[in-house]
Amino acid sequence: MRIATAKQSYSSDEALLRTNTQWAWMGILALALLAAPFLLDGYWLYLACLVTINVASATGLNILTGFTGLVSLGQAAFMAVGAYTVAVLQRDVGTPFLFNLLAAGALTAIVGVLVGLPSLRVKGLYLAIATIAASFILHFVFVNWQSLTNGPSGISLEPATFFGAPLTSNFHLYWVFVPITALMVLGAANLFRTRIGRAFIAIRDRDISAEVLGIPLLRYKLLSFAISSFYAGIAGGMWAYFFRVVTPESFPFITSIFFLAAIIVGGMGTILGGIVGAVFMTLVPELLRFLVEWASPFVPNAGTLLSPVRTVVFGALIVGFLVFEPQGMAEIIQRIRRFFHLWPFRK
Amino acid sequence: MMLNWTRRKILASAAAMTLALGVPAIAQDNQEIVIGGSIPLTGVFGFAGVGIEAGMQDYIKILNEEGGIDGRKVRLSYEDTGYKVDTSVAVFNKLTSQDEIHLYYGDSTGFAKTINPELDRRGTMIMAGASFASELNDPAKFPAQFLAGPDYTEMVSILLEFIAKEKPGATIMLVNSDTEFGRDPIAKTKERASALGLEVVGEIITPPTAVDVSTEVLKLRRARPDYAIFHGYILAPLPEFMNQAKQLGLETKFMGTFWSMDSSIWADVGEAANGFMGVMPYRYYYDTEAAPMLDKIREMRPQYQSTAYTQGFLTAMLLTEAAKRTLAAGQELNAKNLKASLNTIKDFDTGGLIGVPISIPGNSIPVGRIYQYDAAAKQMKPASDWISVQE
Amino acid sequence: MSDELLFFTEVSLAGLGSGALLSITALAFVLIYKATRVINLAVSEILMLGGYLFFAAAAGFGLPAWIAIPLAIIGGGIVGAIVERGVIRPMLGESAISVFMVTVGLGSVLVGLAELTWGTDPRTLPEFMSNTPIFLGDVYLSPKIAIAMAVAAVVVPLFLLLFRFWRGGVALRATATDQAAAYSCGINVPGVFSLAWIIGCATAAGAGILLGAIGGISPAMGVFGLSALVVVIVGGLDSVAGALIGGLVIGLVEALAGTYLGGEFKMVTTFGILIVALMIRPYGLFGTTEIERL
Repeated sequence: MRIATAKQSYSSDEALLRTNTQWAWMGILALALLAAPFLLDGYWLYLACLVTINVASATGLNILTGFTGLVSLGQAAFMAVGAYTVAVLQRDVGTPFLFNLLAAGALTAIVGVLVGLPSLRVKGLYLAIATIAASFILHFVFVNWQSLTNGPSGISLEPATFFGAPLTSNFHLYWVFVPITALMVLGAANLFRTRIGRAFIAIRDRDISAEVLGIPLLRYKLLSFAISSFYAGIAGGMWAYFFRVVTPESFPFITSIFFLAAIIVGGMGTILGGIVGAVFMTLVPELLRFLVEWASPFVPNAGTLLSPVRTVVFGALIVGFLVFEPQGMAEIIQRIRRFFHLWPFRK
Repeated sequence: MMLNWTRRKILASAAAMTLALGVPAIAQDNQEIVIGGSIPLTGVFGFAGVGIEAGMQDYIKILNEEGGIDGRKVRLSYEDTGYKVDTSVAVFNKLTSQDEIHLYYGDSTGFAKTINPELDRRGTMIMAGASFASELNDPAKFPAQFLAGPDYTEMVSILLEFIAKEKPGATIMLVNSDTEFGRDPIAKTKERASALGLEVVGEIITPPTAVDVSTEVLKLRRARPDYAIFHGYILAPLPEFMNQAKQLGLETKFMGTFWSMDSSIWADVGEAANGFMGVMPYRYYYDTEAAPMLDKIREMRPQYQSTAYTQGFLTAMLLTEAAKRTLAAGQELNAKNLKASLNTIKDFDTGGLIGVPISIPGNSIPVGRIYQYDAAAKQMKPASDWISVQE
Repeated sequence: MSDELLFFTEVSLAGLGSGALLSITALAFVLIYKATRVINLAVSEILMLGGYLFFAAAAGFGLPAWIAIPLAIIGGGIVGAIVERGVIRPMLGESAISVFMVTVGLGSVLVGLAELTWGTDPRTLPEFMSNTPIFLGDVYLSPKIAIAMAVAAVVVPLFLLLFRFWRGGVALRATATDQAAAYSCGINVPGVFSLAWIIGCATAAGAGILLGAIGGISPAMGVFGLSALVVVIVGGLDSVAGALIGGLVIGLVEALAGTYLGGEFKMVTTFGILIVALMIRPYGLFGTTEIERL
């Protein structure tokens, strides 16, 4: 039972973390993140880095789709823009790591605004399809702008250096990626305490009413595209430093579906949802690997079942959450929270 | 460096905790040599992966029966990748944290390129795989990798050599899929063709999702080339091309590269497949020329085994041969020594899997032979002698 | 006819032929959208399933084509009925994008199931179409493409007639215009939904057989549906005629772009057209303009 949480000022009511319990959880999370690289082996550390990148990107998509209500199936293409920006800067200019990431974010934001331009005229599904079209056109550019992107064989990167230290192993990258993603998530959480973020939510809930309230629709929709693409660009940039090779086939269309699925499963329109969804959707296929491994003595050819089972589970998760838990995992977490808040007075 | 050292130390002390977290940490058995494998048992390349795995397992079995390498048993530790790069990388990370691995089999060009910096960083293993990408055939850029056959450019060069001999001055059409795989040899092919006095009369790029190829066939018909070289496909849309070309009364001869050359994939196509030619670096399961290793394979497996099987078999042979030579020289198993040992392979007898003795001075084995499909026998029949494009 | 003109004619005809294939697939989208306002991306996977069902019947059980084809089409219809009743109906009233994503998820499930059942290797369908080349004067037309054109020429007018004269078709149109009004007129609206899904998915399965006969089948062949989606957006999501004309136009443009610019331009031209169409006529060339009210 939660008691004595009466707020005495508006700022305490608006605070991101409102209770001691929340602070305690954040502390535990921070400790876990700090301890993780020392406890995890190579494989789990690799996954930790991948999850970190995906969290950043999913949070970005959540700003656009979850909070502003503009559905995008172009997230993978935006990440590709970021990844290529980093790769080209690293190869041709040799600018430092953090600058490259910011540049990737900025350029992707511009591309995002361009892609978002149809959003004034079309919305809903039509917009989603426009973003699909944009991703295929971007793919065409990556393949055919030979002089810049090196065509189908793509660009290989030298490892990043962070204030003189080369970031070669996942252990190194982890220490850079996690703070960056943490900052991005924090930024997103804070965004929705400002006028801009509130405007996004107003647009999502009813665009015409939002306009009546004095929110210029096109400007805010484009802003949402810009911010979301900025996130995608930085995530793509981190991806480039992580895998160290960028090709047009690095970011297939299915990746866009993956991110949309991640925020649906996690919970659209909540910061927690983007994080939980990305973590969950990245780890489920890997956990299935252990399931298949465990089942292999009993099932013939279990190894060949893994990939189809993953495909089925991926689809089933999307369908299952949309049908039975449209608010996603974040809602489940909220329900658990509420249970403890009211305990023991509600059964 | 400092960080690395600290991590290792801490990692060691945290081994118990790792176990508690449910992470499998199999005890290191120094007696065993483990070949890791990101193998595509499913996905678009599944047909190959299944064969590759069987081939590798069979060779390892033969090797272990003969006492392994220097008394040490060999084991294949692999997982399915679905032919997706990110999954392959995950598998790589998983396998390498379970076992000490010095030999690796990778499944795609994308994976080979993605994992290359990591291979260089670790410096503990060499890798070969299912990709014959020309880009990988560069010992300076890919020092820890090699190809168990000719690269795609060399494959097409072998085809061109054959054409130049059979019909000097012939006209050629290049048909490639719009993928990294498909576009791989295009530029070099044109150079090579003009050096051999052949004329490339056009190129057709098909989108990777292409189903209907009618317009492409019309292009082919207009150019009326003597040969059409297909690359970047496994089967589709080749049969439809050949069907329509036959209907149009085209005399064009159709050619392909390694991955379209397995006879089982052509068996369902029927009569239209007759006469399809291509380059093959290995002997077929049913080849009648003397080959002790093929005899052994036929004894182990009474049914037809695919070319992917032979590829896996030979790759395992070369990987373990490198390890054998390294250990025989009393050296440590690391990327540098293994690769150096691999490069000492000279006039090596593969037991007849490749028809001529092979040498691996660089990253590839640039030999191959032209085979032609005989629809009645449902077999690929040799159409040339072994051709080497080693420079 | 000069050579250049002959070539152009042949390319255009081939383009129209593959456009006909697109049109048939687009019909499946249109039917389902018209009745239920759902863009069903799983049409792509039903298409794939149609190809595999035919394969199972013809190659697996050795049935002749004239039995295997109806079986595969009926199979597609059954899958449609199950999906509609089981997953789509509970989603009634949810936002369009949620239902869209449900169909995306369903597509993934279907691909996985097909991979589990038939494996991931690409396969060739047994030959069931005539292989005699067709020459219209000097102009060559691939027989399979000709068959696709013939099928489209029969199916599309058939649907137009059905919508005009058949009770079920009229009920479907009534439901599309106003669900509540249709209900009060005694139309069994849920029944209409099921019907649309059954017919739509059966059509998709049929298109899958045609497609498989030309290019072979594989679990990944559903990507073709994405091109058909472009067609329906350009033609208008709720217009049968739009599907036909959109399909032919896209097919033609793709063929010409592929021939005169190069194969790599095919996709980008298609999606370029899509973006332009969205900017100029967001509801498609023949679609009904939706008017928003507060």
